[in-house]
Amino acid sequence: MARLAEEWFATCAGCEVTILDVGEPLIDILKQVSIVHMPVLMDHKLYGQTGEGTEMEIPEADIGIITGGIRTEEHKQIAREMRKKCKTLIAMGSCACTGGVPALANLYTTAELLEKVYRGSVSTDSNGVPSVDLPELTDRVYAISEVVPVDVSLPGCPTTPETVVAALTALLEGKPFTLSTKSVCDECPTIRAKKSVTTLKRRLEAPEFVPGRPLSEMRCLMEQGFLCHGPATRGGCGGSEGTPRCIRAYMTCEGCFGPMSEKANPMVDMMGALSTIGLDPKQVLDRAPTFNRFSGAGGRLRPLPKR
Amino acid sequence: MSEDMNGGFEPVIIAFACNWCSYTGADLAGVSRLQYPTNARIVRVLCSGMIHPNLVIDALTKGADGVILCGCHLGDCHYIDGNEKAERRSDAIKLMLGDFGIEEERFRLEWISASEGPRFQQVMTEFTEQVKKVGPSPFKA
Repeated sequence: MARLAEEWFATCAGCEVTILDVGEPLIDILKQVSIVHMPVLMDHKLYGQTGEGTEMEIPEADIGIITGGIRTEEHKQIAREMRKKCKTLIAMGSCACTGGVPALANLYTTAELLEKVYRGSVSTDSNGVPSVDLPELTDRVYAISEVVPVDVSLPGCPTTPETVVAALTALLEGKPFTLSTKSVCDECPTIRAKKSVTTLKRRLEAPEFVPGRPLSEMRCLMEQGFLCHGPATRGGCGGSEGTPRCIRAYMTCEGCFGPMSEKANPMVDMMGALSTIGLDPKQVLDRAPTFNRFSGAGGRLRPLPKR
Repeated sequence: MSEDMNGGFEPVIIAFACNWCSYTGADLAGVSRLQYPTNARIVRVLCSGMIHPNLVIDALTKGADGVILCGCHLGDCHYIDGNEKAERRSDAIKLMLGDFGIEEERFRLEWISASEGPRFQQVMTEFTEQVKKVGPSPFKA
C-alpha cells in the first residue's frame, strides 16, 4: 500500500476537485493507496489533534502532493516538512508548478497589496491590516520548486484528470512520468497559413468557424486575430484525445499549462510569435501579466518600476 | 575584458550580422583596415529575420552590455522579407526591454549593406560609445 499525503497552500482547490473528477479510475487508484494526511479530506492536523503539539507532524508517505503556490512563511515550512517526509513530491496544478493566478500578486510589493486590500479600495471600511495570529506573507509568491526540489510537476489550471491518473499510475507502478515537450500549437488541428490579420480582436467577438464541422477546418485563432497563447504554452492538456482543451471549446488557449520549459519566458516567446506573423505587439496592453498569467513565480513577474 | 588600459568600462557587445549584407559589410571594413572598437563579438547569421527576441533578451540578461542587430536594407533581403520580420521583432524587443529593467540604449537595429564598410565602422563606433555611456549591464553578476 503506498502512503499518500496532500497539502494545499495558495490554491483554489480546483485541483482537488480534479482528483474527484477522475471518476471511476479513481477507485482503482484508491485501492492501492492509503491516505495518511490530507487537510481537505481528513481531520489529521499539523500540531496534534487539539493543537497540543510543538512541532509540525506530517506522517511519512511514499507520494506527496502539493497544490497551490507559496504565499506565507507557514507554506514554506510545510513544504519543507513535506519534502522531508515524502519520497516522491508532486507539484499539482499551475499554482504549485509556476505560481498560478495568485502569482499575479508579484506585480506589486506586499506593502502595496495589504494597503490596497485592507485600506485602499473605495468601499472598504478599514480597521487596519490584520496581523494577530497570522503567518507572515512571503515577499512574493513562489513555486514549490523554488523552495524544495520537486520530483513531478503537473501543470494546468486545473490540471486534467488524465494527467493525474497518468502520473499516479506511473508512480505506483514505479515507472517514470514525463510531461509533453511539445507546444499547444503542435497539438492543435486548426489551419495555419503562417500569416494573420493585423488587428488584435477581443474575445467578445466570436471566431469564424462552421458549427458542426471538425476543428481541422477552422482557421488558427491567432491568425484570426485573437490572442492565443498556444505558441508559448506546454502541450498535453488534451490528453489522449489530443486537441487542446480550450481550442475544443472554440476558445483561445490561456496558457495554463505554463511555459514549455523551466527557463522559457512566455512573454518573450509570445511577442516573438505575434511579431513574426504580422500582429502588432503594441496592441497588447498589460503585457507582462497577460503573457505570464499562470507563470508569475520564478521572477517572471516582478514589481515594475513606476515611470 | 571589462576594463580598458585606463581602468574604464569596456562593454561586451554582441553583433548579429546577416550573412548576405551586414557580415559582408563588416568583412569589407576589415579588409579596408578601417579601425573600430574591438568590443563587438560578431555572430554571423543567415538572415536578420532569424533572430528570435529570445536570443536578444537572453544575451542582455546573461551579461551582454549591448546587442546590435544588423541586416539588409528593406527591399534588399536575400530571402525577400526576412528583414521585415526582423523589424517587427525589433519593435517587440524594444517594448519589452523596460519589462526586464534593461535600458533602451542597449539594443539597436541597423541596416548595413555589403558595400557599406565605412558605415559598419561608424555604426560600431557609435554604438560602443552609446553603451559605454549607459554603463555595465544591470545583469552583471
